[in-house]
Parts: sequence; C-alpha cells; structure tokens
Amino acid sequence: MKHEISEKQGATVVAFTGEVDLESSPVAREILLKCLESTSKVIVDLSEVTYIDSSGVASLVEALQAAKKNGSQFSLAAVSEPTRRVLELARLDKVFTLYDSVDEGLNA
Amino acid sequence: MSNTAPGKDRRDPKRFDRRKSTNVSSHLELLSKMSGHLAVTLNIEETIQKALDLIVQFVKAEGGALFLLNDKDDSLVCKASAGPVDIRGISLQAGEGIVGQCVSENSSRIVRDVQQDPNFDHSVDDSTGFQTRSILCTPMTVHTEKIGAIELVNKHDDSSLFSDMDLLMLQTLASAAALAIHNAHMAEDLVEQERFSRELELATEMQRSLLPASRPAPFPVCGINLPAHEMSGDFYDFFELNDGRICFSLGDVSGKGMDAALLMSKTSSLFRCLGKTLHEPDVLLATINRELCETAIHGMFVTMACGLLDPATGEVQLANTGHEPPLLHARDGSFTPIPASAPPLGIMPLVAGNDGIRKETFNLDGGTLYIFSDGVTEGDLQDGSRLGIEGFKKIIRECIDIPVAERFAAIISVLGNAEGKRHDDITLIAIDATNPCLNENIRDNQGAMIVRHTFPARADELQAVREVVSKACDDCGCSPSMATDIVIAVGEACQNVVRHAYKGIAEGTATLEIVCKDGIIQFNLQDSAPPVDPEKMKPKWPKELGPGGLGICLIHDIMDEVEYLPVHSGQGNLLRMVKFIERTN
Repeated sequence: MKHEISEKQGATVVAFTGEVDLESSPVAREILLKCLESTSKVIVDLSEVTYIDSSGVASLVEALQAAKKNGSQFSLAAVSEPTRRVLELARLDKVFTLYDSVDEGLNA
Repeated sequence: MSNTAPGKDRRDPKRFDRRKSTNVSSHLELLSKMSGHLAVTLNIEETIQKALDLIVQFVKAEGGALFLLNDKDDSLVCKASAGPVDIRGISLQAGEGIVGQCVSENSSRIVRDVQQDPNFDHSVDDSTGFQTRSILCTPMTVHTEKIGAIELVNKHDDSSLFSDMDLLMLQTLASAAALAIHNAHMAEDLVEQERFSRELELATEMQRSLLPASRPAPFPVCGINLPAHEMSGDFYDFFELNDGRICFSLGDVSGKGMDAALLMSKTSSLFRCLGKTLHEPDVLLATINRELCETAIHGMFVTMACGLLDPATGEVQLANTGHEPPLLHARDGSFTPIPASAPPLGIMPLVAGNDGIRKETFNLDGGTLYIFSDGVTEGDLQDGSRLGIEGFKKIIRECIDIPVAERFAAIISVLGNAEGKRHDDITLIAIDATNPCLNENIRDNQGAMIVRHTFPARADELQAVREVVSKACDDCGCSPSMATDIVIAVGEACQNVVRHAYKGIAEGTATLEIVCKDGIIQFNLQDSAPPVDPEKMKPKWPKELGPGGLGICLIHDIMDEVEYLPVHSGQGNLLRMVKFIERTN
C-alpha cells in the first residue's frame, strides 16, 4: 500500500494505492487519525485500492468514529470496485458518505 | 523568629488567619505551577533544575542544591544547584553531612543558625567564600523509595533565618519534586526500553533474513526455525550449486542469549560463503571450524550437520560435528541415525577424514532425511514430559502420508509445556527428493486438482496467499467476480489465523489446501495453534458500527459451506470452506 496526502480547498485528501490488508492497515489507520487531528474535512480517495480486508475496513470505521466525535467530516471518494464489494458485504456502504469523485466530495 | 511569630499571632487571630490563608493559597499556587512545569518535561535534568529553581524562589532562599541518590554506592550527588555557588557534581557518602544524615535517617533538618551549631562543617564555605547562616534540608521519597534530598541555604533577607513554616513548605514541595523526578526516571527507563526493543526487533528481522526463503516444488529441501525468544541460536540454510546439487546445513550454538545469536549469524555466513566453493561437507565443516577457533569465544561452540544432495540420484553426503544424529526415515519405515564423527565446532582443530570429521554417503532411496536441533527432541510436552527421539519418530510415522511441511506443523503443535511455552529454539529441516515440501500443485487419482500452500503465519505472507487463491479460482473456472469474493473470504480466514490463532506468541505455519472437483472449490485451512472454540467462530452481525468479527461474517456470507473439523493430530484447527462454482462458460 502506498499513500499520498494533499490539501485541496481546505480539505485533506488521502489517496491510498494498492492493497490495504493486515500488513498495511495499521499505517492507514495512523494516517487517517493523524489527518483528522489537524483538519475538519478528510476525503479518502480509494480509486486505486485493489484489495481491502476487514482490518482495512476497521481502520476506515475507526476514522469515521473519530471524525464523528470531533464533528469533522469524513468521506470516501471514487471507491474502487473491490473496495465497494467489501463495504457492501460488510453492510457498511450505507454508513459512510460516498462520493463518485474527490471533486464531488470537495464541493459537497 | 518562629518562636516569636506565634505570640504575635495569638494577639491578633484575624491577622494569623489571613496570613495562613495567604500562605496556603500561594503555596497551592506554587504547587500547581510546579506540577504544571514539571508535567511538561520528562527530561530528568530539566525536571530537577526547574523544581529546585521554583523552590528556591518560593522559599526565598539565597541558594539551594538538589542531591540524587546513586543506587550503586548509596552516595549522594549534587545534580542541580541554585544561587551564587555552583556545587553540581559534588558527592557525599551515605550519612555524611546534614544532607547525608537527612537521607539516611529519612528525616528533615533545620539548622536555624549554623554559627550556633557545632556540627556545621565550614570547609565548603572556606573554599568558596560563601557564608552559610541557616540551612533547611529535607529528603525526597516516593512511597518508600529514597530518591535524594533538597537543601536550601540562607533566607534571602539578610537578617532572617529559616522558620518552621519554611521547612513545612520545603517538605511539601520536595514531595512534589520527588514525584516528578520519579516520573522522569520512569519515562527515561521507558524510552530506553523502547529503544532496546526496537533494536531487538531490527536484530530479529536481520537474523530471520539470514534464513533461506522457502522454495516452491519440486525443491526437495525445506526447513523451519522457531526461536524460543526474539533471537535464535539455531540456524538452517540451503542453496543450489551450479551442478544442480543442493548444499544444506543445520546448526545449534551453545547458549541462548544474544552472544549465541551473534555466533549463529557468523557461522551461517561462513557456511553460505565457504559452501559455494568447498563441495565436500567434511572439508567444509573443518574449514568453518578453523575460522571459528581462530576467533574463539571462550566456552562457546556450535554443533552442526551439513551435507550435499544430488536430487537427480537421491545421493546424500553428510558430515556431523557434535550434532544430535540426523535421522534417515527409509521407505520401509526404518529409522537410521547418523551420529557425529567429531566434537562440535569452535573447540579444537579438526581435520577432514577418518581421523576427524568423517563424511557418510548414502542414498535417500525414496526416504526422508531429518536434521533437527535438540529443542525438538528435548522440547517439553503439555504433560511435563519431553518429546524425545521416540516421540519424534512416532509423529513422523503417523504423518507419513502428509506433505513434509504439515509433518513439521504436527511436530510443532505438540511442543510447548502446559502454558504453551517453549524453552529452546526449534529448528528442523527435511531432505526429501520424492516428496517435495511446499506449495504442491498436483492432481489426485480421481482427477481433482489440488493446490497446497504452506506459509508462515505472518501478515506479510497474506498477499502471496491471496495470489495462490486467485490463481486457483481462475484455474477452476470461477467467474472473476466470484474469484474476487473467494479471495476476500479466504483472505479473512488466513488473517484470522495470523491475528487470533497464534496471538503473536510464536510464529507458526499454516497450510492452505485447495481442492477443485465436481463443480465445487474447497479450501482446507489448517494451523497448529491452540484449538479455537467453533461456537465463537459463528457470524454475529454487529448491530452498530464495530468491526469486531467482521471477517467471520464475510467468510460466511461468501462461502456456501463453512465448518471447523477435528484435526487428526489432535491439535490445531482445520477450517473447511466450500463454494459451488458458477462457471464463466
């Protein structure tokens, strides 16, 4: 898994690339929680995520919970097919705010 | 002064109350200021200097010194100093001077007027030119642990001497300072421990990287090393020579500490380097011995067996220096030990040949050669007994029909005492030209395709497992979307083994067997971890957000059948998952 963090229109966009699994999810978790400490709007770009497992999903859920606690916005954008499938199976697709693209998330 | 003050106070109770309350509130203010200052720093030097400065300022002393107790020799060393004379670094013996007495008797002292005190030692004043008039000293303790003492010298106002109130104040502030110093000490210890663990992790990783990567079939040598602690004193290695023969070895360094681990690294490096040019196991061991003896560490030695296999013919040449006899398990079921012909390496000069290290030559002839460390045969079992060589043979006999890697898993599963702990490193290699160890991909006699993948139960192995699963799904004709789902389910099952079954205690292995036949694809995932309760492995959808148990839910959602089966060796877990295939065509 690789990641890239950028600031756009006052929001922090975190883009993950590759596989978010048991090996890499602790890193993903740390990045997301750290971003939420300094920004009130975080958008996670999942377009290049080729695989995500339950530990990766757990990191996203934890970040969402942290955001709700501080009243920050946390959303997922451009969710790749494999990621969408796991979110569906996990019945978490309705829990997250999903945008078709990062831009849509920024303008929302 | 303290004798006259109460008299005045008695005459004017209001004034006394006001003064007392002013004192108490400013006292509390200082305490809170001090705690605030001290809380932000966990650096010990900074903490003590800050604490002393604040106390000197508040008690209005001309100078002060903070002494810390040196655990090693009970001396007191001045670590912080305030005022005109810097006395940092001076050291007092236990019980020496007012400070020493305070600490050893664990009681405070007030010397209102040193000129009236016959015990006052004038030497420091004489050498520094400073004139001491009045001294306050109190020990610092946390619970019953002595930390040191704080000494204040001279009330700032030239005319006055220290009062009982000043002492009371110093005592209170000193206990706050003691706590802060104690915390800073703990923080320093913690940082030091953290640094040490990080270095140990790096060393462990480095050492694991010295072990050879497992090779796919039909490579005939495979091995496993499970250190009892972070570092291992055992090693194994194998590599191919240009002529197709395979050089292999297993060694065990005496002792179990970091020194053993370093000697292990050295010996395995010598083997790898020299083994590429010296193609005779007896000559190779003699050469490694010479190197080890040249830089001998007193009292340390290495037992080692090393050999060469010609996979084309099954011929093996083996030499053994001081190592537990390797066992050849022949096709007819008999076991032949190959005893050592020479003492362990690193003790005395040894020559190759009949007068020293002998080389045995034999043919595997469809059998398997096992080399193992004494952590295997001397390993504790749950009932308190040891596995022993007979116990080892028994498991090998029972597991003759399963792949070598699973035989390893069966042996490892029984090792460990009642608490599941192992006291010695466990290292094992098997040389088997007809039954390659890992990652088989074969068809059984009913034409079912079988893929076997044995992997260390580690997070960084999961990606490779998913690739194997994905490929098998493809080969079995699953649709791409079904293959995606199956990869998710099997990935979660393997993840559970890594995360929960072994609980990070020891690094075990797991074997995934994939059977594809008659419109189904079946996954058998076996580990040798302590058995899990199948009741706990049932899906429970969380009512609200909460990822616990999510993996199990995904497995049950995707797979058509999920069940836990009994394991024939009695330990470990076997999870069977079945999916009915909708074929792409």
